[in-house]
Amino acid sequence: MSNQSNFLTFSKPFIDAAKNVFETMVFTKLDPQKPEIKKDSISKGDISAVLGLNGEIEVDGVAKPYKAMLVISWPYDTYFKVASAMLMDTFTEYNDEIADVGGEICNMIMGNAKRDLATQGYTSNMAIPSMIEGAKHKISYPAGTTVILIPIKSAHGEMYIELCYSQAD
Amino acid sequence: MALKSDMKILVIDDMATMRKIIKNMLQQIGFKNITEADDGATAWPMIQEALDSPEPYEFIVSDWNMPQMSGLDLLKKVRETEALKKLPFLMITAEAEQGNVVIAVKAGVSNFIVKPFSAAVLKEKIEKIF
Repeated sequence: MSNQSNFLTFSKPFIDAAKNVFETMVFTKLDPQKPEIKKDSISKGDISAVLGLNGEIEVDGVAKPYKAMLVISWPYDTYFKVASAMLMDTFTEYNDEIADVGGEICNMIMGNAKRDLATQGYTSNMAIPSMIEGAKHKISYPAGTTVILIPIKSAHGEMYIELCYSQAD
Repeated sequence: MALKSDMKILVIDDMATMRKIIKNMLQQIGFKNITEADDGATAWPMIQEALDSPEPYEFIVSDWNMPQMSGLDLLKKVRETEALKKLPFLMITAEAEQGNVVIAVKAGVSNFIVKPFSAAVLKEKIEKIF
């Protein structure tokens, strides 16, 4: 199935970009753990940034449409630490001032990954990130996509990157 | 040319997070006179009004992707104005594609920076402009 076979090449740019973004703007290194297939649509963290991507990939001379989504989900404590480091301030509660931190991180990761995806033959159009807050919230994945969950360890605590991808046959 | 710490700078980004990060970095570099705008559409009248005042803006740091007026459209308006043809304009973008750089250079951008970036990289880009 093309979904699974392309997942590895598709997901690497996102992991590399996430490492780069966190090292440069959050001053912390990410330690990605073993990826697993996610079977439900309940968030692992309390605050999630969600960003869609679609485009085409050329396979044997034929352009095939694909759709994908990047989700980064943080437990409250990790999110506050990440926002505090990034904004050089101290935050202990979710408020307007830090509401778009996750979206901006998501944006930067997607923007960087897009460049690497282009070298693999993917054309891509980015959407605008949205944020979801609240324990165990529901995430709406595009129909028919496989969702990979990558738990991440960092000095600010754990977080989760989710990637879903599907390609027309 | 040595950088003036009181240089009047306008930081434009629709994301409050990014405005705060850029402002923090500019302050780390040593700049003190920083104003913010949340879109190209808000920034353009500010730039025009300041032009008629004793203290026009001396440096623009703008995001590319903004909902109402993009950084590229703002740059074009700035360059179409005779008095602003040489106003230093640094464009910031999350999309690291080469095509964007070419478009911005053609529109007359002074320098270009791709997110994510550190204060050291921002300083380096500014020093290349001035």
